[in-house]
Amino acid sequence: MSADELRFPTEDDLNDPHAHEIRERLQASYAAQPVHDAAHMARVSRAVLASAMHTPVSGPRGVRPRWWWGAAAAALLMVVVMRPWRPEAAQQQADSAMARTAPLVEMSGKTSEERGGTVRFEFTLPSSAREVALVGDFNAWDSDATPMQRDASGTTWSARIPLEPGRHEYAFVVDGQRWVIDPLAPQVPDAGFGPTNAVVIDGEAQP
Amino acid sequence: MTDAELVVRTRSGDPDAFGTLVSRYYDACWRFAYHMLGERADAEDVVQDSFLRAYLAIGRYDERDQFRGWLFHILTNQCRNFLTSRGRRSKRFVQDDYAIESAPAPISGLAPGVEDAVLVRALAQLDPQQREALLLKYAEGLEYGEMSAMTGAGESALKMRVKRGSERLRALLAKAAERDS
Repeated sequence: MSADELRFPTEDDLNDPHAHEIRERLQASYAAQPVHDAAHMARVSRAVLASAMHTPVSGPRGVRPRWWWGAAAAALLMVVVMRPWRPEAAQQQADSAMARTAPLVEMSGKTSEERGGTVRFEFTLPSSAREVALVGDFNAWDSDATPMQRDASGTTWSARIPLEPGRHEYAFVVDGQRWVIDPLAPQVPDAGFGPTNAVVIDGEAQP
Repeated sequence: MTDAELVVRTRSGDPDAFGTLVSRYYDACWRFAYHMLGERADAEDVVQDSFLRAYLAIGRYDERDQFRGWLFHILTNQCRNFLTSRGRRSKRFVQDDYAIESAPAPISGLAPGVEDAVLVRALAQLDPQQREALLLKYAEGLEYGEMSAMTGAGESALKMRVKRGSERLRALLAKAAERDS
């Protein structure tokens, strides 16, 4: 019977039956490694000190960013904004903020055929505009050809033009620069000149 | 001079004191890193980087701790980071048994004079966490409590890693012995 077999089992042996064998082999491999000479150590030491001189110091000495700083800042922000001890105040603040930022008037347009082949175009803007023009294939997309009239509300603009039966594409030009369309009206695929709406006279509007 | 005294001198700007710490622990760090990474050049890079990090953080070292344990904490982290970045680059350590067995054994990069190249190759085929646990337990001789403080893993998890790593390493060594015979 060998000395190993007579050895009293350790806690490691109980956890791992191959503990003794693996330990001996690993330690033998460790012992077989070359020993580095003093010159090598000195080179490493000099290299470390040289690198340390060029390493930027981040933040005050002894203070380094912690992973939980971000979480703590987010929690603090939530507490300040939500104010869970006063939910009604937070709700009121949120409502008033929404009221300040939400537009009172939605952007929308409308077309309606009138007697004599005339079509009325209406366009409502949430923001103020100095002038709005109607452009389309019927006026060669000329923004000076069909200016729209502002009504008493100050936000709705309208124009009447005679149109031949068929499909017509159109858009609106705000303040001579900004081309916009009615987001709710039928649209035609962008042919490279920007999106436009479409209207069909004597039939249903189709994109 | 004790490690704590050398640390105090290093903090006060004495480069020779830090050089002494490097001389005292370089070989121990290198042996661990070499068995973790399997390549001499990688081990040298990681050990040097670990000493740099230790130097930069020496102000936060608590004299009540063993310097060796504190240094190995940094070293094990650096080995993990290195393996993660190397894994992203080359997927060197695969867990597919068939791929492992059919892949040619690496012959380059082994430290000259190493008698047990078979062991180093077998270690390289272990899961890095198992390899780390085996080395800390059996080669460094740490207790599970010390390993837990160093790695952040629970003691029962570490025991399982050691047990499974040991079984797998033993199987890999047996296969290598069969192949050689």
